[in-house]
Amino acid sequence: MSTLEIMLVSAFALVGAGLYGLLITRNLIKVVIALQIMVKGALVALVAAGQASDQLALGQSLAMTVIVADTVVAVIGLAFAVQVKRVRGTLDLRALAELRG
Amino acid sequence: MADWLIGLTIGLPWIGALAVWLAGDRRAEMQHRLAVVFSVAAGAAALLLLPSYGDAPALSIEVGSVFGTLTFVPDGLGVFLAAVATVVGSLAVIFSVDYMRGEASLGRYYALVLLFIGAMVGLALSGSLFLLFVFWEITALCSYALIAFYNDDPKAVAGGLRALIITQFGGLGLLAGALIAYAYFGDTQISTFLARADTLPESMLALMAFGALAAAAAKSAQVPFHTWLPGAMEAPTPVSALIHAATMVNAGVYLLARFYPAFEGVAGWTTAVILVGLLSAFLAALMALVAIDLKRVLAYSTISQLGYMVYAVGVGGVFASQFHLLSHAVFKALLFLAAGAVIHSVGTRDMRQMGGLRRELPFIRTVFVIGALALAGLPLLNGFWSKELVLEDGLHHGPVWAYAGMLLAAGITALYTFRMVWLVFYGERRGAGHVHAPGLAMKLATGILAAGTLTSWLLAGGFGKMLAESLPFHDLHAPAALDLYETIVTAPATYLALAVIALGLAAWWWRDRLAGARDALAPLARAAEADFGFEALNRRIVTATAAAAESLRATQTGLLNWNVLGIVGGLVIVLAVLALGA
Amino acid sequence: MVYAGLGIAAVLCAILAIRATRLLSAALWLAGVSALVSILLYELGARQVAVIELSVGAGLVTVLFVFAISIAGDDALGERTALPRWLAAGAVGALVILLVGMALPVDDATAEAAGGSVQAALWDQRALDVLIQIVLIFTGVLCLLGLLAETRPLVFAPPAARSVARQDALSAGREQVEPVREPALEEVR
Repeated sequence: MSTLEIMLVSAFALVGAGLYGLLITRNLIKVVIALQIMVKGALVALVAAGQASDQLALGQSLAMTVIVADTVVAVIGLAFAVQVKRVRGTLDLRALAELRG
Repeated sequence: MADWLIGLTIGLPWIGALAVWLAGDRRAEMQHRLAVVFSVAAGAAALLLLPSYGDAPALSIEVGSVFGTLTFVPDGLGVFLAAVATVVGSLAVIFSVDYMRGEASLGRYYALVLLFIGAMVGLALSGSLFLLFVFWEITALCSYALIAFYNDDPKAVAGGLRALIITQFGGLGLLAGALIAYAYFGDTQISTFLARADTLPESMLALMAFGALAAAAAKSAQVPFHTWLPGAMEAPTPVSALIHAATMVNAGVYLLARFYPAFEGVAGWTTAVILVGLLSAFLAALMALVAIDLKRVLAYSTISQLGYMVYAVGVGGVFASQFHLLSHAVFKALLFLAAGAVIHSVGTRDMRQMGGLRRELPFIRTVFVIGALALAGLPLLNGFWSKELVLEDGLHHGPVWAYAGMLLAAGITALYTFRMVWLVFYGERRGAGHVHAPGLAMKLATGILAAGTLTSWLLAGGFGKMLAESLPFHDLHAPAALDLYETIVTAPATYLALAVIALGLAAWWWRDRLAGARDALAPLARAAEADFGFEALNRRIVTATAAAAESLRATQTGLLNWNVLGIVGGLVIVLAVLALGA
Repeated sequence: MVYAGLGIAAVLCAILAIRATRLLSAALWLAGVSALVSILLYELGARQVAVIELSVGAGLVTVLFVFAISIAGDDALGERTALPRWLAAGAVGALVILLVGMALPVDDATAEAAGGSVQAALWDQRALDVLIQIVLIFTGVLCLLGLLAETRPLVFAPPAARSVARQDALSAGREQVEPVREPALEEVR
């Protein structure tokens, strides 16, 4: 297995772990954690592809954009969670589900 | 030139819709004026487009490879229907100035009517199957919104929903046909499909043919999908005149006429078409005979006359069916608008409360009688020429049993028409209440249509030439105008039909003496009142759809985890399909 | 070899982060994932991005998490998961297997031999990306200000009562959907 293939498998596994977290968690903050894990997987895939095709500079700049985006998401997500806890008193997704039916 | 005109004919009503909406409901006078100006301008543009007919695409818009090229082809079939839609549309809008005076939500009304007119023109002129589907859906949406215009009335809302659900099954069939054509030919152009239809596998072509028949039957309110049209009479009368008599319901017949060369070879298709037309014509005529709501009689009459057009397509008389479409659009719009004037003046739709109105509404009586005579098929009016042409083609190219049925239906048509005119205008006044005169706009609109009813048959020659020259795949031979009239006047079938019509009229005149026969046919009358059981069938379709929608509500849990599961599941399915395909 | 080890370790930390019951532990395992990923990126040769990932991912974001958790409280919500575990594992497992099956084996990626520094790549080639990043950060700040400006708790009906009221309104409206037979014609339209 070449480096690229190992890295792709790890990237897929990280994304899978993040998705698994999104599927089973009931806590809003855990949702943000799961999203972060998925993005790490994407980072690995990007940089590995850059390294394999000898375009590391391009891969790195793309990865940098992704880091900025995902940090902003984390910040907003956490602020959101804090506010939700303050206003609704709970972080449980089941109690927060208002778009039912 | 033609491309500009096409753009104007579709764009002017749409811009008008936007303008009326922006004018706001507080400036009602401005809204009336804007609507009339834009619809008349669109009518002028459509009429200017008539000489530029041809069989090549006049306007092409490239949108990439997924949807193919969106083309507009101004062939004879299309420009004629576009002209009908815009001219009758502008007359209906003029009529609405008086009819809808003082109503609330006027902006919504005019915007929807103008949107509909533009979409109908687009439907008629489109040369791409996909574009046809898009405009088909827009007209269905406008029809639903206008039927349910009085949205605080549960009957209107229910009627609108029922019309939407039943006609939408047809729209799905159209989309499926477009996708099949794209899959086999790589191209969604109608001309491509017509040219290469015989290269499709038998079963696929048969599927498309019967699917198109079902779509057309649903849209044109033919048996067994006809029950939505009487329920659509809750719409304001100008809407009934425009959408449910002159334009949208013709879209089904238009579809059959356009795709006739592709489907005529499919085994049993033409027989099915003839049967659908015959049943609709006959059963709807019977139902019109026992109805007591004035608009309902006209609705059943529309179904019946559409049955004639469908029958004509089935026997191969495409020119006859489109000529009858022209005549029917004019006289049926006239009848609806005149009926609207009557209803507006008297305050009720119940014919048992009318009677003797010839004294109070002389002008309306005159135009209504002209329309009724055309419907019955009396000589010199446009209905006579076109109906005789249909029956001629039926006698020469179709099975005799179908011809006999259509002839009988013509007699019943005369009977219910005469009954309707008598109940409304003659005899003694049965209801109480004040009758106020119709306004100027109503008289103008109905007067123009009455003049059209007297003269539109003169266009037969030019129309036939237009069709023959611009439809390369249909095998049409258009006789010159005088030959046409001569053929009709000298054919024995014409006199047979006239005799049957005279019998129909006489049956009403001597209705007291025929009371015995009427009692004998009472069970038939009861069955006719119950819509021959089709009402129950269609109601079950509608409730089944509503129940399915209700049960799908369980999937909306509102929980993030289930939504993500949906995403993951969808991704798995897509990847699996790709993996299998590779 | 090193790559495989780092990759496996990162995935393990991720799974532990998901399965942790206390939010604080989950945040710390996430920091671990960040650290391992940044070492991995360094080993691949992406030095600048590795440093950024370490400082931002393992540093900034972890601190944010700790802050948020201390404000919001660390109540464990219990063992019951929103979806059954086997369903989630099955769906995710199918997805990953399909992805891996389609992606591997990878042909040799054709190299464009674009060397150059990251600065050149970022500021010349991907200048639009930089603009987008600025917009993103700006948007994020605005969102934050808007979100955190609410100081008093809003007053509203508890969720249970509201959904019951909504059900009643829906079932009342449901009668209108069924088609109605034409009754007597007393109205004018």
